[in-house]
Formats: sequence, structure tokens, C-alpha cells
Amino acid sequence: MDDKTQIKPVNDSPSLHEVQTLDDSSDEGEEINESFVCCICLELLHKPIVLACGHISCFWCVHHAMDFGRESHCPICRREYNHFPSICELLHFLLLKMYPETYRRREKQLLEVEKTWGVFSPQLDLSSSCVNSDPKAPSPPTNFISCHETNSSVKTSPTPIENSKKIVELSHGGSANSPVKSAENSVITKNADIEENTCLNYKACKPVSINDALCITCKQMLFQPVILNCGHAYCESCLEVPENEALSCQLCQFPHPNGFPKVCLVLDNFLEREFPQEYARRRDDVQHKPVCSQQGTASSACTASSKKDGPLSSKISQYYSEWMSGAGPDIHFGAGCDYCGMCPIVGERYQCKDCVESIGFDLCGSCYNTGSKRPGRFNQQHTEGHSFRQKKALRLSDVTVRLLPVISDDDLDSSDILDEAPEDDSAALGLLDESPDDPEIF
Amino acid sequence: MNSTSTSGVGGGGGGGGRSWASATSVSASGKRIRKEMLEFNSEPPPDCSAGPKGDNLYQWISTIFGPPGSPYEGGVFFLDITFPADYPFKPPKVVFKTRIYHCNVDLNGNISLDILKDSWSPALTISNVLVAIRSMFTNPNPYNPLVSGVAHLYLEDRTKHDEIAAAWTVRFAR
Repeated sequence: MDDKTQIKPVNDSPSLHEVQTLDDSSDEGEEINESFVCCICLELLHKPIVLACGHISCFWCVHHAMDFGRESHCPICRREYNHFPSICELLHFLLLKMYPETYRRREKQLLEVEKTWGVFSPQLDLSSSCVNSDPKAPSPPTNFISCHETNSSVKTSPTPIENSKKIVELSHGGSANSPVKSAENSVITKNADIEENTCLNYKACKPVSINDALCITCKQMLFQPVILNCGHAYCESCLEVPENEALSCQLCQFPHPNGFPKVCLVLDNFLEREFPQEYARRRDDVQHKPVCSQQGTASSACTASSKKDGPLSSKISQYYSEWMSGAGPDIHFGAGCDYCGMCPIVGERYQCKDCVESIGFDLCGSCYNTGSKRPGRFNQQHTEGHSFRQKKALRLSDVTVRLLPVISDDDLDSSDILDEAPEDDSAALGLLDESPDDPEIF
Repeated sequence: MNSTSTSGVGGGGGGGGRSWASATSVSASGKRIRKEMLEFNSEPPPDCSAGPKGDNLYQWISTIFGPPGSPYEGGVFFLDITFPADYPFKPPKVVFKTRIYHCNVDLNGNISLDILKDSWSPALTISNVLVAIRSMFTNPNPYNPLVSGVAHLYLEDRTKHDEIAAAWTVRFAR
């Protein structure tokens, strides 16, 4: 792959001086703990995503580092994965509390960038976390802050400051109304009081409480936390892997496809540092758990991990080599499933006909069939009323056969050749058109 | 409507609108390079220096001192570093400007180093790269050479190889 190593000279790049003035507001005021600095952008983690290996990066950093044509690798440990995980909301709100100024500034800056793309990262607010805490509640379309626009115009967006203020307010509201007030230890209430006072004053650097880092299963402070593909956090010891079944989230029922997750050490170390007493108590709890159940979880976790770690890597490479030989399941290069995050989509791909966002809205076969209702990965305004069409994948034979007649054209546009279905130019590029018998699905 | 994809699309796929691969472009490379510059200046790796050549943040120049105990001892080696627009998702291009007798560096200064090619990771920094290049001075990799003659000599007659390398260092790198 020569194109990977080729480097285009940067001519119209911003000069040294320009870049220096670009972000004049450096991180003064809040001292960011090194462990919460993203390894890719070297800034405070923003909308953090925890990969199955336990390593954290920002939403856009993970997205940009992904390989949309093949399996992706963790930037730190190079572990393979094929599913773009959802944002870990727990960490998101934790960081927002700890570093409100820096976090909001990043939010604002990124929103500006996202406007230029016309593509947006998920807007996390109270209603979306409400949905998460009650899987049966229907997800209202209002759980997106409408910073998304119907076309590529960017005028209707609320100001980013309002936007992020809202998030801050909502997050504090959220923790106050947190369902877990079982007061089984006084530390929680004590911390909550401190929190109330410091909420008013953003200068306070550590208003976090144990309430901000609770396990979904045991409702206690996370001990050796693992984060699933859906972004939900569990103690490693609380996660039960059903025999011969894929691991799935107890809260949102979403399957976790990236192999048994490893402990997120950054979060674990943080909790140990921040709440040493509670952490020690939790460690004792876990260690003194009834031996049989503990062993059960651990051993099944082990088998699940060994079972899934191996096949994952070989599977994708196998699909890929099958594709190269013209066989095997379809691979939809560049396309990702907006529910489970599989990218590239292997197998069937369903594209929403009604979503107007430039990034589109796609589902893989199994997510389409299970009819799961989750917000899109990029804040798309997808609703149940939308209809889908099945997309045909590009096959190797299509590339070789179809390239020939097009290549003679002078106004050759490489992106059109590789596009699976150029709907707009179907007349001009008739050869590239989808097969006419593509089923329309409603 | 779609900006050009600068993200890694492997295997001849991707492209086109309405997909994850094409929707965004990397915009924060300048910021990241600036962060690296500050970090590098506060904690430079041993025997290395690096910084922007002039006004352009994407063009750096670097020097590495030949490590003691190696045939390159006493030499000062200049390198050009070019950051791509989609850095750090693509590796920087690093070439030797000073001639060096080394099996992993060719006449034009190109370096065969895995982390500058397929093994690149966006979590690596220019500091990591320079440390890796510096360790190449003491540990050449003759099994994946760019100049097979040098690699051959390195394996067959290490003393002679070191003599030539030292002579080149005196001649070109001082």
C-alpha cells in the first residue's frame, strides 16, 4: 500500500505563528492529570471512547485512527478491533466535572470544526443518560441537542456556549437525581454535599463523587472497571459471560463484539487515588466474594476472552482475503453500522433513505433485523419512520470490469468509481449503477 | 458537500459520499505538532534536537549526535522531518540530510524503519521516532536492509563495516 506511506507536502499549512495564535487559551487554570490526556491529540480527553483493550481516546481521535477498509488497531497496544465503540458517558461526565473549563472549551472548538464538516459527534445530555438508565423507555427524538442541521447550512445551530452550558447543567442535575441513593455508606452523601457546594463554583477542581463512577450491576463504586462496546461500565467481577453466548450489556442488551474487555486502568487508578478507602473496601468485597461464583465468572470470562480474541483477528483478515479472491461475504468499505459500530460492515448493509446528513445512516444486517433503537453514531436525526434500502457492496470483479470504460473519461473522479452507488450520476455512470433489482425495504 | 477523505482507507475501498470514511478530515494536526514541540523542548530525548525549520510548522529539522561507542560517535547527523496534513494519523516523513554509512539508510537519506511505515501509530510522537532512529545507530537491522551491500558487510566483517562507518562519519558528519 504505497498510498499509506506517501506524504503530500503541506504547502498551505498554517505557519508557526498562526497556529500559536490559533489556540491562545492554553490549559491555564486547570491542571490536567496526565492520565486523562488523549494519546493522539495530546489534549484533555473529549467524549472519551474506551476500546476493548482498556485504552482511551477521544471520539474523533478514535474515528480518525480507524481503518475503514480493514480491521482497526488500538493506537497504544495495537489490539485489533472491528467495531467503533460508543462514548463512555460515565467518563465523559466525570471529566466534565473535573475540568469544566477545559472540557467546555474543547467542546466549543470541536463544534466549530464539526460545523465545517457537517458531521457531528453525539450530544450527550441528561435525556440520553435517562434513556440509558431505563432500557425500556422509548428514546425520544429530543435526546439530541439540535446542533445538527437539516442541510449543510450551519446557521440554525445554537451557540456552542449555550450548548455546553446545558450539558454541564444537565450533568449536575443528573448526578443529583441519580437513582442510587441507597446510602449504604455515608461517604456518598458526604461527597454529595461537597459536590453541591462546589457545583456553584467551577474553579473547584474535584467535585467528583463515588456516585459518578458506579457499576451498572452492583451499583457500587467501580472496581477494576471494564467498558463495553456500548460505552457502559461494569466492575470486571460483575460482568457475567453466559456460557457459549456472546457477551452483552445488561443495561442496553447490546452485544459486545470486541472480545472480553480489559480493565480500563486509567479509570481504575483514578478511583484508587481519589477514593482510597472505598477502593480498598471494594477490593476486599471482591476478594471475599463466595468462591464458587467468583470462579465461575472468572473462568467463563477467560474462556470467552480466549474464544473471542483469536477468531476476531483471523475472521476479518479471512473475509478480506476471501473478498480479494472474489468470494466470501460482502465488505462495505468505508461504511460503518450506526448501531453496533461495525466498520467496515461485513455482510448485508442497509442504508437509510431519509437521513439527510452527509455521513448517512447505515445498519449492518443483524442490527437491521433486531430493530434496535439507538441514536446514530454521529447525531443523525434518524427516526423510526425512516425507510431503508439494501446496499450492494463493491466486489472485486466490479472494480476490475467497471473501471475499464470509466478510465477513458478525462473527467475521471476516483471517488465516484469507488462509491458503491452513485445515485446522482447514475445516468452518466450507468455502468456503476446498482443492480436494478435492489429490493426497496420499508 | 463532502470534504476529501484524509483518513486511512485501506485496500482500495472507501471513497464516495455517505460513508464513515469520507465525512470528515483531520483538522487538528497543527495543534498536535505544536503540543509535541512544547513537550520536546521541555524534555528532549538524549542526544537529539528538533524544531521547525522556519515559519512552517510542518517542516522540521533535527539533529542526532552519533551515540558513544558506535562508529558514528562524534558525528552530527541532520534530518529533515515533514509532517503530513493528516498527522498524526499518517507518519511523518524523516530523511537523513547528512550522508551515513548504514544498512538501513540509503544514498538519498531514506530510512527503512517500521514505525515510519506500516507500524506507525498515531500515539507515537516525533520524540519516539528520533529515539528509534538513534537506536538504529547502535543496532542496525541487517535483515531488512535498504543497502544490501552494507548489510552484507555488517554481517560478514563487522570490523571493516565499523571502520568505513567511522570514516564516513569523519568525512560527512563533522
